[in-house]
Amino acid sequence: MSPQTRAVESWTLRPLTDFVREASVRLVLVLTPAGQVLAQSGFSRAVDVMSAAALAAAIVASTGELARQLRQQPFAALSHQGPKTGFFLATFVTDRGTLAVLAAYDLDVSSLGLVQLFYEQLAADLKAATPKGTVPKQVLAADFERELTDSLNTLFGR
Amino acid sequence: MSKALDLITRVRGVRGAMLVSTEDGLVVAEQLMEGIKGGAVAALAASLAGRLGRAMEAAGTGTSVFWHLQAEQGALLVVPGDASGGILVVAVAEPDVNIGLVRLELLRAAEAVV
Amino acid sequence: MSLVNFTSREITCKIVYYGPGRSGKTTNLHYVYGRVPETRRGRMVSLATQTDRTLFFDFLPIDLGQISGFSTRFQLYTVPGQVYYNATRRLVLQGADGVVFVGDSQARQLDENIESLQNLQSNLLEHGVDVRTMPLVMQYNKQDLPPELILTPADLDDALNFRSVPSFPADALHGKGVFETLKGISELVLKKLAAGSPTV
Repeated sequence: MSPQTRAVESWTLRPLTDFVREASVRLVLVLTPAGQVLAQSGFSRAVDVMSAAALAAAIVASTGELARQLRQQPFAALSHQGPKTGFFLATFVTDRGTLAVLAAYDLDVSSLGLVQLFYEQLAADLKAATPKGTVPKQVLAADFERELTDSLNTLFGR
Repeated sequence: MSKALDLITRVRGVRGAMLVSTEDGLVVAEQLMEGIKGGAVAALAASLAGRLGRAMEAAGTGTSVFWHLQAEQGALLVVPGDASGGILVVAVAEPDVNIGLVRLELLRAAEAVV
Repeated sequence: MSLVNFTSREITCKIVYYGPGRSGKTTNLHYVYGRVPETRRGRMVSLATQTDRTLFFDFLPIDLGQISGFSTRFQLYTVPGQVYYNATRRLVLQGADGVVFVGDSQARQLDENIESLQNLQSNLLEHGVDVRTMPLVMQYNKQDLPPELILTPADLDDALNFRSVPSFPADALHGKGVFETLKGISELVLKKLAAGSPTV
C-alpha cells in the first residue's frame, strides 16, 4: 500500500489501493457529490485534498446540471488529457448514494484506456464493499461543546 | 478501416483485430469475437507500446515495426500503424496461429489505415 | 452533509456564505484566508469572472485542529450573488451544514437582501432542506459606511431575521465581525452535530 493512500471510510481502502497500483495513477480521490472525501491517494496535505474535492464536486455538479438541462442522463465520465498529465472523473451509484472518483495520471506511465479499465473494477469493488444497512448512530463526547469553544478561540485568536 | 480489420480476422486462429490509439489506449475500431475484452486489450497494447518504445529508444534499436507477445492461452500481435506511432494495429489470436500470415495482414492493414 | 468518522476521528463540515451580489461574501473569505495561520488553511480557490465577480464559487478549507479528539475541518464556500447565477448557487448549496447570510447594510439594497433570503429558502427546499432546520447566522456587512446610507443592525434584524438567529454587524473589508460570524456559525454547526451526529 502506498504510504500516501488514506481512507476515511475503511471499506474504500482495499479497492483504492488496488486501483492505484493497477492503473498507475498519481492522485486519486473518492468523494461524495457534495465534495466530502471518503478516500484519497497521493496528496500530501489534507487541505489540498479538500480543494481538489471541491473542484471535482463542482465539475460533477455543473456537468450534471448541464445534462439535466439537455434532458440527458448525467455524463458517466469525463476526461482531460494535457501534455503530460491526464485527468479522469466519473461517478457511480452505490447503496450509500452516488460517489465520484477523480484520478490524475502521468501520460508516460499510464493512459486513459488503463485508467478507464481499472476504474470499472474500482467502481465494482466499491459497490460490493459498501456496508449494507444503516449505520448505528454514534454520539460525540459530552465535552465536545466546551472543547469546541476553546478551539475556536485558539484558532481565531480571540 | 473495417475492411482492413476484416482481412486480419479471416486468418485462421485470429480471434479479433483492432486499431488502438497509442496515446490514450482507447479502441479506434474493432472486430472481435465474443468474450474478448476490447478495452482491456487496447489498454494493454498501448501501455506495452509506450514502454517498449522508450526502452528501444534507450537501447538505440530504432522504433519497432512488429511485436509478438506469446501467452499460454493466446497471442498478441502488433504493428505500429504509422511512423509517428499514433495508431497500433492489433491482432488477438490462438496460441498456435500462423504468425507470419497474421504479420502480413497486420502490415497490409497498417498501410491501409494511414 | 457533514462527514463524521468515528474510526479515523475526523469531522468535515461545509459552510456556505450566501447573499446578494456585492454584499461581501468573497471579502469575508479573503479576510479569513489572510488571518488564519498558513498551517491551518489550504489554498483559496476562486472561480471568478475576469472582473473578479464570483462565477461559480470561492472555496477555502480551514483546519480547526483537534476538538474532543476529532480532527475538525471546515470547508468555506461562497455562492455567486448575481441573480442569474441561480443554477450554480443551488449546486454550491448542496450538502451544506451551515449558512452565513451576508446582507448588504445599505438601505437601497434591502430589496436585494430580501430577494436573496427568499432565494436561499427556495434553493434549500429544492435540496429537500427546510431553512428552519439549517444552522444559519446573519452578517450585516458594510456597517462602516456613513450612517445615512445604511440600516442599523436592529433595523436589519427586523427586516430579515425572522428566525432570530445570531446576527453580526460587520465591516468585512477591514475584518470587523468576520471572525465573530465564522465563530457563530461554527458553534451552531458543531453543536447540531454533537446533538445527533450523522455518520457516513
